[in-house]
Amino acid sequence: MTETLLRWPRELWESLLERLFFLPPFPESIDSLALFSLLLVAGLLLGEWLHRHWGWPKVVGYVLAGILCGPSLLGWISIEALVQARPIADAALGLLMLEVGRRLDLGWWWRSRELLRSTGYDIGLSFLLIFLFSWLLIGLSPAWSAATAAVTMASAPAVVLLTIEEAKGQGQVSERILLHTAVGSAASFFAFTVVLGIVHAEHSNDWLNAAVHPLWVGVGAGLIAIAGAQLALGIAGRLVKGSLAQVFVLVASAMLAVGCARMLAVPVFLTLFLMGVMLAARDRRQSLRYTSLPEGHWLLAIVLFVIVGASLPWQEFGWLSLLQALALLAVRATAKILALLSAGGSLSRHKRLLVGVGIQPLSATAVFMVYELASLYPEVGGPALALPLFAAAIMELLGPVLCRWALRQAGESLEEGKGNIG
Amino acid sequence: MSGFGEFARSQPLSLGVELELQLVSLRNFDLTRGATDLLASLVDDGRCGDIKLEITESMIEISTLPRDSIRDIASDLGGLIDVLQRHCRNNNIGLAGGGTHPFHHWPERRICPGERFDGIYHRYGYLAKQFTVFGQHVHIGCASPNDAIWLTQALGVHVPLFIAFSASSPFVDGVDSFFQSARLNAVSAFPLSGQCPPLEDWRDFIEHISFLQRCGIVSSIKDLYWDVRPKPEFGTVEIRVCDTPLDIVQACALTALAQSLARYLLRTRPALNTALQAHVARYNKFQACRYGFDAMISDPLAGCQRPLKLIAAEMLNTLAEDAAALECLPWLKHLERQVEQGGDAQWLRACREKSGNLNDVVRLATERLYSTRSIAEEGL
Repeated sequence: MTETLLRWPRELWESLLERLFFLPPFPESIDSLALFSLLLVAGLLLGEWLHRHWGWPKVVGYVLAGILCGPSLLGWISIEALVQARPIADAALGLLMLEVGRRLDLGWWWRSRELLRSTGYDIGLSFLLIFLFSWLLIGLSPAWSAATAAVTMASAPAVVLLTIEEAKGQGQVSERILLHTAVGSAASFFAFTVVLGIVHAEHSNDWLNAAVHPLWVGVGAGLIAIAGAQLALGIAGRLVKGSLAQVFVLVASAMLAVGCARMLAVPVFLTLFLMGVMLAARDRRQSLRYTSLPEGHWLLAIVLFVIVGASLPWQEFGWLSLLQALALLAVRATAKILALLSAGGSLSRHKRLLVGVGIQPLSATAVFMVYELASLYPEVGGPALALPLFAAAIMELLGPVLCRWALRQAGESLEEGKGNIG
Repeated sequence: MSGFGEFARSQPLSLGVELELQLVSLRNFDLTRGATDLLASLVDDGRCGDIKLEITESMIEISTLPRDSIRDIASDLGGLIDVLQRHCRNNNIGLAGGGTHPFHHWPERRICPGERFDGIYHRYGYLAKQFTVFGQHVHIGCASPNDAIWLTQALGVHVPLFIAFSASSPFVDGVDSFFQSARLNAVSAFPLSGQCPPLEDWRDFIEHISFLQRCGIVSSIKDLYWDVRPKPEFGTVEIRVCDTPLDIVQACALTALAQSLARYLLRTRPALNTALQAHVARYNKFQACRYGFDAMISDPLAGCQRPLKLIAAEMLNTLAEDAAALECLPWLKHLERQVEQGGDAQWLRACREKSGNLNDVVRLATERLYSTRSIAEEGL
């Protein structure tokens, strides 16, 4: 379709090229900056429209714009363009993961028995039930079942963070959704690292890779995170607290960590999440504690979700995989809600249920984890991981709506127009 | 009685204290929504008093039981702060004193659920959200309704003193307001705030309230935000001009001042010229809010101005006998030092100077509220 559209301009250009010697050759691929702005505008328009007319979270619109423009439907975003846009997606995901890591309040989690209990139940039940479902009902091998569980057990940090920010969510449900998401993500990343070794062990006799790859990922991400956090804190400590210069230091350190992770083939989401945790834990002088990411991180987030939407292979999903994915999501939802309800604690049962609903999203990190795992052994990994990928694709659209609904039910979102007098 | 009920019996000079406290996020020390969640999870036997909602979700009010001595008030406040602090830790919320939050953005405040709060929001619009300011109210028991009206008028003259001693709201909207107490500017926007009009006795008060009721201005005494007002259902006079101090020691010291002053006034019954005082009351109040102890207070009887610093020092001296009789003297000594050294507003400005940002100022305020709890309970 794109070829047909471009035929006439190309012919015109080439005829001009014979006379106008200063003209460059006809541009065969779109410039990265132009691509960035197109993705941004497409996501923005749909996100704002859905938000204004139907009250949907904007994230849903961004993902839909990606699906619409991506290779699965209109094909305006080609597979090559997606590869080209990957650094932007990494940067966006990195910044969001950094923020989620920074918001993980380890002190609160550690001193609250009810939170230890509820996050423990959530992690344990989610992994166990998804693993058993994938292994016994779907028939995946134990290694790929574990991979499926590792990828889908946690909530989606980027979606949860953006949905809470968008709704200006404040209160125990919002705080606990964020905490559950951050702790669940940490557990999911740990499981993902271990699963890397298991997958190697199952598909090759190369025990060296099976042992060293998880170490490379885990230790590598940890070291980059420590170095990035120390660098940011070291420089920020010499600047005025909350100043614009500090914001730049934070963003620059994060981008440096993203770059290093990419160079060393270490997952960006894991590295930046750990860096965020380190920044919060080691900031004893409150150097960066009050420094927020610039509003511009929404810009990157829009592009991230458009790319995620576009990268979902909808054409590969069939009716059977739809049913399997829905069943997996039902198992996952049951595990999370059961975990919250059975954990007890000072929060009312109704609000614990809402936390359980609020942590349902499954999104970018899961998709990226799937691609990391599938790339190890593409011929077996691709089909085996179609299940979590399809589940993530469904939850890309449903997850933000559920999270937003939970915040509304809890009375914690600052609704536009609500509270108007008269 | 026009629906205002009888004046309840109470022990003369008995005390009750209400403190409105700030609920802040421990992530950035901005105000946060947490009051209804906190109350929903609260397990308290009420032996020290009550913990209640206030107009917005970022505020919580503690109120002691009626007590005869300042020692019991200190114990109640300590107990209530203890309970609240425990639940706040559970919910990862910080608790702080101070008359205003230094940098919160008022449109983000949420009105608490409930018919009363809803009514206030509909009646006053955005003022209700801007009313996210924090005060200390001191109740003093009165033997009779006529005593209550007389004491209300007599205490009105000393409003600048209470403002200067309690001033703890120098920052508003992220900037230094140059006021020692900027909180009262938020209160003064309400149409029924300000001074109690000159009233002779209880009968005069009832007539005045009935008149306001007939005019459709008030439906209950709660609609009046006077600086000092009678509270018939408690049998008390309520002083409402104080900012919430940064710690309980200061809250107790202000209560001790109120009790000693009330005893002195009721004992000596100085002549009041309420009509003349009414002319200078607003000016004097502004002076105290703006300059604290550096204010110049107009004396309408002598027709001159006097420094509040001098008035405060003289007053503390005058009250020594009554304070000793009420075991309040150590608390008044605590206040005496502040006349020269400055109080909470200076402390907040010093924190800002040292840390260079307001987030740290609130962080230090949360630490201060808790750290002084035991000092207050054990007595100075």
